[in-house]
Amino acid sequence: MNNPPSGRHIGNPHPLKGWQLTLRVFLAHYRQSPLQAGAIIIGIILAVTLLTGVRATNENAINSYSNATELLSQQAKWFITPLPNTPLNEQLYFTLRQQGITHSLAVVQGMLVDEQARRWQVQGSDIIAAMSAASSHSSNDENASSRHRFNGDALPLAKLIAGEPIVLMSQSNAKQLNQPTLTVEGQTLNVIAVDDQLNLGNRLLMDISLAQQLLNKPQQLSYIAIFNDVSAQKVQIEQWLENKAHLSPSDNGDSMKALTNSFHLNLTAMSLLAFIVGLFIAYNGVRYSLLKRKRLITQLQQQGIMKLSIMSALASELLLLVVVGSLIGFIGGLQLSYWLQPMVSVTLEQLYGATILPGIWQWQWLAQATLLTFIAALLACSSLFIELLRQPLAQSAGQFNQQASAHRAHKRQLWVSLCLAAVALIGMALTDHYRITMALLGLVVLSIPLALPWLLQQLIQVIERVAPKGLVGYQIAETKELIPPLSLAMMAMLLALTANISMNSLVGSFELTLKQWLNARLHADLYIRPPSSQMQQIEAYLAADKQVTGIYQQWSIKSRAKQQPIYLVARDDYSVEHTTVLKTAVDNLWQRFLTGDVVMVSEPFAIKHQLGLNDTIKVDVLGDSPLTVGAIYYDYGNPYGEVIVSTVTWHQAKLSTLPISLAVTYQGDLTQLSQGLMQKFSLSDALIYSQARIKAQAVEMFKRTFSITKVLNSLTLLVAAIGLFSACYMLTQARMAPIARLYTLGVNRRQLSLMVTSQMLLMVILTCIVALPTGALLGYLLINKVTLQAFGWSIAMIWDWQAYFEVTLLALVASGFAVALPLYQQTRRPLISSLQSDVL
Amino acid sequence: MTLLSSPRAGLFTLLLLLLGCDAPDTKPQSAMGSLMGDNLQGYTQVTPGQTLRFPEDHQAHNDFRQEWWYLTANLTTASGQPLGLQWTQFRIALSPKTSESSSVWATNQLYMAHSAVTTAQQHVAKERWARAQPQLAGSDAAPLAIKLDNWLWQSQSQDLFPATLTVSDEQLSYRLALNTSAPYQLQGDKGYSIKSGDGSVASYYYSQPFIQVTGEVTLEGKSVNVSGDAWLDREWSSQFLNKHQQGWDWFALRLDDGSALMLFQLRSDDNQASHFYSARRMYADGSGRNIDSTSAPTDIKMTPTDWQQTPSGRYPVGWRIAIASEQLQLTIKPLNRDSHMPLSVSYWEGPISISGSHQGTGYMELTGY
Repeated sequence: MNNPPSGRHIGNPHPLKGWQLTLRVFLAHYRQSPLQAGAIIIGIILAVTLLTGVRATNENAINSYSNATELLSQQAKWFITPLPNTPLNEQLYFTLRQQGITHSLAVVQGMLVDEQARRWQVQGSDIIAAMSAASSHSSNDENASSRHRFNGDALPLAKLIAGEPIVLMSQSNAKQLNQPTLTVEGQTLNVIAVDDQLNLGNRLLMDISLAQQLLNKPQQLSYIAIFNDVSAQKVQIEQWLENKAHLSPSDNGDSMKALTNSFHLNLTAMSLLAFIVGLFIAYNGVRYSLLKRKRLITQLQQQGIMKLSIMSALASELLLLVVVGSLIGFIGGLQLSYWLQPMVSVTLEQLYGATILPGIWQWQWLAQATLLTFIAALLACSSLFIELLRQPLAQSAGQFNQQASAHRAHKRQLWVSLCLAAVALIGMALTDHYRITMALLGLVVLSIPLALPWLLQQLIQVIERVAPKGLVGYQIAETKELIPPLSLAMMAMLLALTANISMNSLVGSFELTLKQWLNARLHADLYIRPPSSQMQQIEAYLAADKQVTGIYQQWSIKSRAKQQPIYLVARDDYSVEHTTVLKTAVDNLWQRFLTGDVVMVSEPFAIKHQLGLNDTIKVDVLGDSPLTVGAIYYDYGNPYGEVIVSTVTWHQAKLSTLPISLAVTYQGDLTQLSQGLMQKFSLSDALIYSQARIKAQAVEMFKRTFSITKVLNSLTLLVAAIGLFSACYMLTQARMAPIARLYTLGVNRRQLSLMVTSQMLLMVILTCIVALPTGALLGYLLINKVTLQAFGWSIAMIWDWQAYFEVTLLALVASGFAVALPLYQQTRRPLISSLQSDVL
Repeated sequence: MTLLSSPRAGLFTLLLLLLGCDAPDTKPQSAMGSLMGDNLQGYTQVTPGQTLRFPEDHQAHNDFRQEWWYLTANLTTASGQPLGLQWTQFRIALSPKTSESSSVWATNQLYMAHSAVTTAQQHVAKERWARAQPQLAGSDAAPLAIKLDNWLWQSQSQDLFPATLTVSDEQLSYRLALNTSAPYQLQGDKGYSIKSGDGSVASYYYSQPFIQVTGEVTLEGKSVNVSGDAWLDREWSSQFLNKHQQGWDWFALRLDDGSALMLFQLRSDDNQASHFYSARRMYADGSGRNIDSTSAPTDIKMTPTDWQQTPSGRYPVGWRIAIASEQLQLTIKPLNRDSHMPLSVSYWEGPISISGSHQGTGYMELTGY
């Protein structure tokens, strides 16, 4: 394993030559024990894979917000959007083009539900205008990225503009759909799969001629996109649009970025955690391989190779491993991102309504990842290198004084850990900003594993005191010796376990809180969102039904407050009083609220803008008059801020008197009522929701939000398990000689196997026990600090034992395998070779 | 008269590919053939012996595959500088079937318009697309209007003249008053204009070569008053080229004796001998004389004398033209050698000057290079 390549004295060669020679020797060393190099590379690969994977996913999403183009077309510079409650008439578009603003695009959007109750986001646009804008764009800019160009190989343009039932769907969605048609509103639509590069995301694209009919929006538009820069004509256009529509510049995805900020930060934090865990493995590998080369390096020095040469050879070796590992990790990361992206896209689309473009990646990510890994690895290993070079030449590779120094190191680490934890806790008490809290959480995450070796030492000492003497006593005493070599893998494991446990408790707690909140929030049996044209008839119809015990109304429009998109909501007095789950409120709230004296704001909105009771806000559609915050209420899963005003305020502001939705309490059979409504008013079932269905959908949506975090978490745990496996495996292999010695002393193989296995498992179990409080602590911080500050959701913490035992079991299985394998190998070869391995 | 050479990436490519979709064996390379030729089923065919009727035939003929209103003008600015101007509105049927949808957006017709202004130093060309939609693009009967967005030929009556032509875009805009007292000139056999030696391809084609123009042209922010002469071509068909024809060279020439000459050659891909020539010498009283290579195979001689390389191809921008039976010996020179149109369909189109047996000005269109 650590043979010098030759016994010949080399003299005192030139440093460069020495460097070359040393590298050659190291190469020979790794050729003999590829496992050591493998462990390092695996660590680096895993670290870089997760880092790059998440980075690609994140950057792609963020890039999508800024580069979002109109479908089949180019990026809009301005938008004409409808005024509250007045649909945009298509006549505006015609007039706009007749006035010479011809690089514009009419779009109508909506939701359709197919036969199998799947919901489809529909975009209908003037396909000809979209495509001619795209082609003028690409001919103006010959360097336009290929993304903006498209080959319309399969676009059935003639059929599209003839209003035939044809929809375009992205290739990947069409593959999932796996059928040539969709049935919507009783009409069979032919599905044409188009390249994912056309950025349809999960939307269905059709010509406006078909879309207006399917969505039942005759002559209506959702918005008009303008591709020219019309800043010079802004005033005229605004005058012309007065009381008809609203002109606004494209914000290039800024509001979407603001909205999704915390989501992406969470992903980044998860990937950094995984990166650290991966580095632990790599570091462990380097440490082990150096330990194995201690004698070799001494011999090299005795042969006259200068320390500088050896140092630079070690650094070069590390660089080489980092480069190879990063390259493989980079490729793996892109693949990972490819797998993660659909999940992230779905989350972002469902939660935030953002559309994600197909993947992009950059070579510079590889360079950055390599550099980061190399610096991190060099920093981590520098102490090892220095220690190695400080060792006097005369001393052989004795390992007996290691215990003492390890003990000192553990104490030092404990102190560092305590300091980090103290800084983090003090900092957290002082800050309200989730980015800072996140960074402080990083310190906590570092401090936990640093304290582990010392804690393990203490725990084993406690066990040692109560354990019987004899072989068991020896066994436990020896376990203590295992702490230094295993501590790094254990630290990585602890980190992953802690993260996993805390994340599980966050997700579990949130689910429960959400369900409880939904129970309080939803008081009616049926929720209906009919087209405004039918609202009055439906209200009359319901009022006539004797089994209907209550009709409740809700009004809502999208507006802006504090420079961010919000929803302004009003509900009838009974609903507001009985379904708003309050966090805090002023005295006499209901009296003051119902008269329009105060408004209520959602918790996320209040936290984001640091609003307290009696603060004032302004909402765009309500003009300049300040509104006083009278209460803050819980609101989960809603990415937009929300402000509730009384019906008095709503009507005073001359906002639409037609409610946007109705809620009904009903004494009879709900299915009958909804069937009746659907038939009488030919409503789609997408517009009628039972309480149970809303709950199911809310929980489903929430699960999707966290599915990506859960996946990353499991990946981190997997990385740690691999790390633990490789550490246990290498350690058990290294301990073959002492085990063989015990065998020669008369301990039989069965006992030996049992002993070695139980030693490892003891360590793992102890680590899992340590992970219990640390996981709880981290979970507490995630829930009460990060989530609260980032998303604005107060959550009551729930502990999930089952999840805890699951991850513990995973750790045990990984280490069990890792011990069993070398033991099994050992039983298959003569003892003498194991004994020899110690001597050689 | 007009269009088509090697199509660039863009909407038009899509159209060609799409037309190819109807006939799966049509390769995109023969896209021009596929647009102009192969797939005629369902479209009305051009047949001899039909009588053109006005004002009805000024309107769109949606049952034919393609159609255009094509105006070229040789103008002079107030300071005496020559200026060329082109406006064309194309109609393309995507399918012979009219749409069954009740939506106001649904249609089987597509419109494209080109507009260009050429001076000795500048050449600016613009393009617009829209579906046929009463408010976006199409033709109106009473009063007559040919329109696409804010590009508009607006007549005062059901006739094409007198009219105002307005075009406005970021780099160029113009507003022209168009008037004429001359009768329309029916090309070919009373408007039945054959386009190949074997008579297999033809179009309906009439012209108004004698239009007086006054107006204002704004090019890149600078406005000038202009006056001069213009020429309108109207043409529709369902097939324009046969599969051996690769493009054409077309001339609208105004001679100093008060006559006008319409002349084109359709170039065949095998040899010069099978090129198809056609011309008509026309007078303001409505009279004229036809010459074509079927009846007089050697009467028309056209020789390129000068070539210009442009981003979209190498074009013959100088010509020597001889028609023995009309005693014409003409030398053609472009006002601006770089008058190529880098649009969805690339071609060369620009004002020219005439010398030789006659003097004059005119327009030249070169496609398929």
